[in-house]
Amino acid sequence: MIITSHEDLESVRKRGLTKIQPKHPRIGVGTSSCGIAVGGMQIFDRMQELIQKEGYDITLVKTGCIGFCKEEPIVSVTIPGKSQVLLHKVRPDDAERIIALALKGEIPEDLALCRIPDWDHITGNLVYGDGFESVPDYGEIRFFSHQKKVILRDSGLINPEDIDEYIGIGGYSAAFKALNSMDPDTIIEEVKKSGLRGRGGAGFPAGLKWEITKKAPGTEKFIVCNADEGDPGAYMNRNEMESDPHMLLEGMLIGAYGMDVHEGLIYIRAEYPLAIERLTLALDQARAYGLLGKNILNSGFDFDIQIATGAGAFVCGESTALAASIEGKTGRPRLRPPRLTEKGVFGRPTDLNNVETWCNVPVIITKGATWYSDIGAKGNTGTKVFSLVGKVENIGMVEVPLGTSLRTIIYDIGSGGAGGKEVKAVQTGGPSGGCIPVRLFDTPVDFENLNMVGTMMGSGGLVVMDEDTNMVDIARYFINFASSESCGKCVPCREGLKHLLLILNRIVSGKGTRDDIEILKELSDTVQKTSLCGLGQTAPNPVLTTLQYFGEEYEKLIAPEGK
Amino acid sequence: MSLLGNGKRMVTVTINKNQYLAEEGEIFLLTANRLGIDIPHLCYEKALEPYGACRLCMVDVVTCGKTDMTPACTIRVQNGLEILTDTPQIIKHRNLLFELYLAEAPKSEVIKEMAAKYGVTKTRFLKKIVHDDPLQGKCILCGLCVRVCEEIMGASAISFINRGPYTVINTPFYEHNPDCEGCAACAKVCPTNAIVFEDIGTNRVMQSWSDTTVPLMICPECGKPFAPQRLMEKVLTKPESGLIEEIKDLCPECRRKYFTLREIRKIPTNGGQA
Amino acid sequence: MDEKILDEIIAHYPSQSGKTLGILREIQIREKHIPMDTLKLLSGKIDVPLSRLYALVTFYSFFSLKPVGEHLITVCMGTPCHVKGAEKILESLEEHLGISEDTQDGKYLQTTPDNKFTVEIARCFGACSMAPVLRVDGELHGYVTPEMIPKILEKYGWKR
Repeated sequence: MIITSHEDLESVRKRGLTKIQPKHPRIGVGTSSCGIAVGGMQIFDRMQELIQKEGYDITLVKTGCIGFCKEEPIVSVTIPGKSQVLLHKVRPDDAERIIALALKGEIPEDLALCRIPDWDHITGNLVYGDGFESVPDYGEIRFFSHQKKVILRDSGLINPEDIDEYIGIGGYSAAFKALNSMDPDTIIEEVKKSGLRGRGGAGFPAGLKWEITKKAPGTEKFIVCNADEGDPGAYMNRNEMESDPHMLLEGMLIGAYGMDVHEGLIYIRAEYPLAIERLTLALDQARAYGLLGKNILNSGFDFDIQIATGAGAFVCGESTALAASIEGKTGRPRLRPPRLTEKGVFGRPTDLNNVETWCNVPVIITKGATWYSDIGAKGNTGTKVFSLVGKVENIGMVEVPLGTSLRTIIYDIGSGGAGGKEVKAVQTGGPSGGCIPVRLFDTPVDFENLNMVGTMMGSGGLVVMDEDTNMVDIARYFINFASSESCGKCVPCREGLKHLLLILNRIVSGKGTRDDIEILKELSDTVQKTSLCGLGQTAPNPVLTTLQYFGEEYEKLIAPEGK
Repeated sequence: MSLLGNGKRMVTVTINKNQYLAEEGEIFLLTANRLGIDIPHLCYEKALEPYGACRLCMVDVVTCGKTDMTPACTIRVQNGLEILTDTPQIIKHRNLLFELYLAEAPKSEVIKEMAAKYGVTKTRFLKKIVHDDPLQGKCILCGLCVRVCEEIMGASAISFINRGPYTVINTPFYEHNPDCEGCAACAKVCPTNAIVFEDIGTNRVMQSWSDTTVPLMICPECGKPFAPQRLMEKVLTKPESGLIEEIKDLCPECRRKYFTLREIRKIPTNGGQA
Repeated sequence: MDEKILDEIIAHYPSQSGKTLGILREIQIREKHIPMDTLKLLSGKIDVPLSRLYALVTFYSFFSLKPVGEHLITVCMGTPCHVKGAEKILESLEEHLGISEDTQDGKYLQTTPDNKFTVEIARCFGACSMAPVLRVDGELHGYVTPEMIPKILEKYGWKR
């Protein structure tokens, strides 16, 4: 079926809604990579077997990830007319019991994490109903209560493998609105007004980049989604694509229309097989509805998206390296300018945005720029998804308005150090970022404030360190990472990082001297100032910040006979 | 500002607070070197696109009072361009880069001399252990050989292998590569003379490239081996080679002899007039 | 790899964008490494110089030129796993399997002499809540301690 009118879209929406809220019980099993890793698929298979064998009147679907990794596997149970209930730490052995109770309109209370009476999908609102009052409300769970879900609006609640469910909660209505009733320039204007900044780390205004791409000479252009999430300890993008692939496709479709571009690419890590699988399925389903291809939604606009896989090179997060990689070359960055917007993939003007940047677009079009810019802080509007990991009690995906303090994220949402240990620092921005000590935890998380304390936003990994963490070892870990990910083109990065690593190895093993610390500082400075691309320019940050904030840990490791 | 005969404009640039006239659009590195302002460099070659990898030619571009460190090989001359080439910061970073090069290519005399010229004679960094290195501990991975082979010769016989500190240059699988034409342009362009090859008998052996062996043409006149066969075949199939049938297989020396003989024979028929 | 299969893989990529890496990715997944002959064959088929393909295979960490053993063990080296002791897990594996970190090309991929086990490292597979984690042939093991290693290995036929 090709959707060509509002009526068509409405009919699919209604069908989708009945899939999410059927007249019989519905069970959703969290099967993102994280859910699968802890047994989600076994639970799903077990349940499917039971339901098929007995012919039970139950809808069983795969859902994405609701973000509370620590509580995985998470299973949602929806009894018609009653609150949806999330069950946590479910084991395959629980499958039978969950199904038996669901058939009776009940849930296993001992496994219940919380209940959801209604949910704001932003593009639509779902009311489930009351009931199960003994189970805590979603808003009463500390991990959830401080969050604001804009990007993760559907994650863990809808079936990412069924486009109807996405349309059911209002998906593709923003695209319909954009393509049928908005002038392309108005779309760019709206994104500019929303204040949306690139979520890949650098924070460049997205609308402005779109405008530059649109104005670049040439008719054949590309828009690219950077899904080569490379920071160790960051997996937001993977989750977003696995849990809600259509929000990305819809965002790209709207952007393409705004920029008048007809070819889209998603550059995704080869190490993300499930995300690739779900995106491929989503693309097929979108094409089948005419949401990609020729004359989309009867608007006369043509656009399609292809997947290009990366192959494990952190440096391909750098835009020119990414373009080279798509062209089938090694990811060695080239000099800029020209920027990608001028000379990108195969020499054509290219707009490159991160997964999360694209995912914001349907919301901005649905709710308007003003609604969006009211979230977050001035100059840092909207929300940001972080992966809160390391030695923190509540591990998971966290979405908060920009400008939220580190303290709120780590203590209120994360409940502080794991196992009651004292938190010492947090690393933001991955290998390009830095370690922030506890005393600076009131720092608001936004692009500028993080830069001021010597780190950066990056793509959104927050790795918590506790009292047992050796900060010099952390610096060594990141330098080792950056060195092994260096492309090897320019000498400060290729050789400089190698020698930083050798020196840090010496210090960690207790053989370092005071001179080593001086060389460390001097070399870090040169690598930062003379490297060709962002990888080398930011790689010394973990060393510089640990030297600045945890200098005494280096001192302690210096061999006493060292002068 | 003035126009040159060739239509190029002369503009004013400021280098280290002194004003000079320079050709608009020229690569600043060349401008500076022509003007006698010394900027070291290793990866720039006129015939190729600027690459910006060696980082030795970094200078400060001054815009609105702010400075930005940029490789001189990537800056194009334009009116009002202001550059600083010798600030303490630039010298400091450059010296450290020389130390890194001394550690990376400990056997390179070129690097030693170049570094010494700028006052760097020692490195504080652990020198690379050179053991069975086909590039003799002299390679600084500027990539000129790879780029010449691919972009100018169109052979793509060698490439970068691995990445980061493990990067090396060689043939695929470290095997004899039939794509190599034996032109040795790589060796000619190498700034540190790292690439070794030798003509042995009727073959050219690219020792640095896994002993890739390329047969040489034998001159039918004198019987001596000269240029690599594959390279000659490529040259001779080009219509613009302009060589007449009788001499196209000859070595350059015999060709010269041919022309000289013809000239001598021509003299009487022309009646002694030049 | 069979030439027919290679042709089929190549046919998945009608457009140039992402073509070369996409083909190599499929070869890697199928064969668990990139066989030398396949790479040479591919070079002629897609008209890309062998040197460039070899550069790609050695540059990107997803590819490996060395075949892997019977069981593939992947140790996660993401930051969360690192702060929770992933390095000690790797050391324990090396000790028990009698392999060592000796890399000429910067890629960690060690196979035991009897070809039973191959150990590789990965950046993050997103099971951060169970850190440190390792994966054996697709099966995940979480909250791993160095002491647990022999028991895990025994499950896959390792003998002391």
